Amino acid sequence: MSWNPFRKSPRDPEFDREIAFHIDELTRAGIAQGLSPEEARRRAILEFGGREQVKQQVREVHTSPLLETLAFNFRAALRFLRRSPSFSAAVILTLALGIGANSAVFSAIDAVVLRPLPYPNGDQLVQINQHDTRNRDANTSVAPQRLEDWNRMSSTFSGISGYYTDDLSEISGPLPERLTMALVAPRFLDVLEVPPVLGRNFTRDEFHFGGPAAVIISNHLWQRRFAGDPAILTKKLRFGAYSWSIVGVMPASFAFPNRDIDLWAPSPPDAPYAQRRDATWFTVFGRMKSGVTFAHAQADMATVQSRLGQQFPKPDADLTVQSAPLKETIVSEVRDSLWLLYGSVTLLLLIACSNIAALLLARTADREHEISIRFSLGASRRAIVGQLLTEVFALALLGSLLGLAIAAGATRAFHLLANTLPRASEINLNPTIVLYSLLCAVATTLLCGLFPALRGTRRDLAHSLAQTGRTQTSARNPLQWFLVAVQVTLAVTLLTGAGLLLRSLQQLSRVHPGFDPSHVLTFQISGSWGETADMPALNRRIDSTLDTIRTIPGVQSAATSAILPGIPSLYQVEFNLDGSLDPNRKILADNRWVSWGYFDTTAIPLLQGEACRRGGPPSDVLVNRAFASLYLSGAALGHNIAAAAYNDFSTKGQIRGVVGDAREAGLNLAPVPTVYSCYSAPTPFPNFLVRTHGDPMAMAETIRRSIHQIDPARSVYAMMPLEQHLDEAYSGNRLRTVLLALFAATAVSLASIGLYGTLNYLGRMRQREVGVRLALGAARSRIVTQFLFQGLRVTLIGCVAGLALSLATGRLIAGMLYGVSPLDPITYIAVLVLILAVATAASLFPAWRAARVDPVQILRQE
Amino acid sequence: MAPTEKTDLLQGTLDMLILKIVALGPVHGYGISQRIRQISKEVLNVQQGSLYPALHRLEKRGWLSAEWGDSENGREAKFYKLSAKGRRQLAQEEASWNRLSEAVELILGAAQQEA
Repeated sequence: MSWNPFRKSPRDPEFDREIAFHIDELTRAGIAQGLSPEEARRRAILEFGGREQVKQQVREVHTSPLLETLAFNFRAALRFLRRSPSFSAAVILTLALGIGANSAVFSAIDAVVLRPLPYPNGDQLVQINQHDTRNRDANTSVAPQRLEDWNRMSSTFSGISGYYTDDLSEISGPLPERLTMALVAPRFLDVLEVPPVLGRNFTRDEFHFGGPAAVIISNHLWQRRFAGDPAILTKKLRFGAYSWSIVGVMPASFAFPNRDIDLWAPSPPDAPYAQRRDATWFTVFGRMKSGVTFAHAQADMATVQSRLGQQFPKPDADLTVQSAPLKETIVSEVRDSLWLLYGSVTLLLLIACSNIAALLLARTADREHEISIRFSLGASRRAIVGQLLTEVFALALLGSLLGLAIAAGATRAFHLLANTLPRASEINLNPTIVLYSLLCAVATTLLCGLFPALRGTRRDLAHSLAQTGRTQTSARNPLQWFLVAVQVTLAVTLLTGAGLLLRSLQQLSRVHPGFDPSHVLTFQISGSWGETADMPALNRRIDSTLDTIRTIPGVQSAATSAILPGIPSLYQVEFNLDGSLDPNRKILADNRWVSWGYFDTTAIPLLQGEACRRGGPPSDVLVNRAFASLYLSGAALGHNIAAAAYNDFSTKGQIRGVVGDAREAGLNLAPVPTVYSCYSAPTPFPNFLVRTHGDPMAMAETIRRSIHQIDPARSVYAMMPLEQHLDEAYSGNRLRTVLLALFAATAVSLASIGLYGTLNYLGRMRQREVGVRLALGAARSRIVTQFLFQGLRVTLIGCVAGLALSLATGRLIAGMLYGVSPLDPITYIAVLVLILAVATAASLFPAWRAARVDPVQILRQE
Repeated sequence: MAPTEKTDLLQGTLDMLILKIVALGPVHGYGISQRIRQISKEVLNVQQGSLYPALHRLEKRGWLSAEWGDSENGREAKFYKLSAKGRRQLAQEEASWNRLSEAVELILGAAQQEA
């Protein structure tokens, strides 16, 4: 390295001139006093004093001594690291993995959980749901009239708005394309405070029934359909009989309520069909006035709703308001998983740190001689510690740079893998993440480096200079064993967590769902909420589509349902039986809408009575066995049943059949009491289920073409086997488990490397002792077992601590487990056996090598 | 040139003296050392090894500004000038110096009375 601390600074020539002037003036003064020019000059130079010293002092004025030392230390550290490339590479790689994984998960947490929503003052946005006190987990959507009341009466919100989504079939292409439209309540964009990037917001007129039909389109649609045409605002969109003027384009970053929305259109609150207070349309959100707390807003909304309850006893008296910060409703599902992953990668980083600390301890012990020479040359302890820490920092810095590259790769993986992760598209590598990984580097430097450096530079080490090159390290080294125990502890904790999640997945896959998802193709056909104006017609359309599908060769049966079986969703409704409502005994059941043929298609067995009939009245109701035995002691047929909170859309009829129990509300939920309403068209775009003889996907094109023939204006979408739907519904679990298992595996290998390295080092340190003992007649096998037991004892201590830690933290993942208790003995035993086996394997070789000392050679050295 | 009696300057005092001299008008390093000697009636003789680092330090702090110009006998020299920041600093240092020297004098006077 060509760095010279005494190099000339660029200021030197200027200062030379300043000095020269001074000496000349002194000389001139001497001559004036009568000295000869030579003598005057000699005296002048003498008086000026050590010219080089003055120059150096002036130079120091212009340099910052701290930076200078840092740079110097850093260069020395790099030089030192290059001398031991394999050690450096091992440390850098370990840290790169540790810091990289940590930064990657942190980038996800930062984007999804920590950062506010990408709207101005996103933390003021609140989702407001209505809850029917008589139903549980049921529909939380809000009637348009109530939304307007809330907006008018609340004093804590600057505005309240809402949306619902509808499908449109865009028919200019060869096959109809499905577009998704958000129908929005007044003030939608004002509450979000995001203006269109092109054009304007909706006007007051456009929110009046019969006013001009206007849409704002998404940036995505603008690019895809109109190639970003700047004259877009003069165009109209045509869907079937309707045509809309395009009045605006939203910015590309705008994705509310989700990424799939292609268009936004006004939903006029004064439309005749929007007057019913028991209609449930809107997902409602509002913006709190600045300075208003969430609790304050909640209290305000409760007051508003109780006033509405007095004004409109039916149905408002039964309704309560439940709100949550909008961000919460978006991220709450994944937050726990993300923190779990973050905890795991942090444990991993800690293991890596203690591993490296152990390595460094061994190294500083090896460098005793060098350190004591530096002491005796007058270096201060602080300077030496500084130097040692700089070496670690250089490693950590390189590690974190490499880690950043890993994190950058991981953010791309997040976009691909976690398409169900909300806000995944907001995950990116930004200055926060860079800063975070630099902080990681500093933290790891202190964590791994400080202790070995302080220990390695203890003053009494200076005495070892008096000794020969022979090392005199204490063979006991309790600190190194402590570090190994810490690593084992953390690895056991991670492994237990991963084990419990794996067991949950295993249990889940063993569950018999009560229905048969194989050979079932699912899809939807575009429809519009407008069709609900004529429900019989809508039903006839769905029924005739089902007829068509059933005639296709290879199709065994076909049906529709509001919600796919097995996809987590519980719609619990309170019912009354035979017209009586027992206040002491609530009859709660999951309410599902299914068409004729549903039980054949899903292979749920019919136990009593008859199934839904084609063209049967909507008053046909079936229940499952759980319902019949819980509420009707098994004799369910013929009873009248009705939803307690009755409206035109709710269930009311006679129980005509009983079917077997199935885990339709979620594979991880035991079958719940269920009421089936026989209804083909619960929504304009129900899920179609088609049981095929062969591979369901092989039938996809045939079915698509048949539907196109009977209904060319409609698009068929979301076509996939039911099994794939189920896979995706639980893929979040799987991804989480796989990641945690990966981290646990890494942790175990790091801990075993730590054990191996420590034992190996110990064997080297104790060569002389072993040699002497062998010379005195000790058996090699005894020495092997002694070393082995030393390794296993520490492992056992780590295991006990790790299991204790797992017991303490098991609560944290209890909510993510299925069919296993957080104290599952099988998992704990398996972890124990695995760790002991790995530890034995890691200890055997160093123990064997320690006993393979040649006593003659050792004695010769003595 | 007879070596003058060496009087140690209090820490920080040199900075104040330099600022004071420069406050009288733009002056080069040699001029400063000469004036300190003359004004102090040869009591204070600033070593060049202290003077130049001090000048550069004050320049770096922004209390002095420097530019090259012609000396009284036509040679090129680096002239130091007091900046507005330096003027404020000088006022502060003079005030605290006066407080200090008054205090020292009070103590010395009291000690003499006791004696």
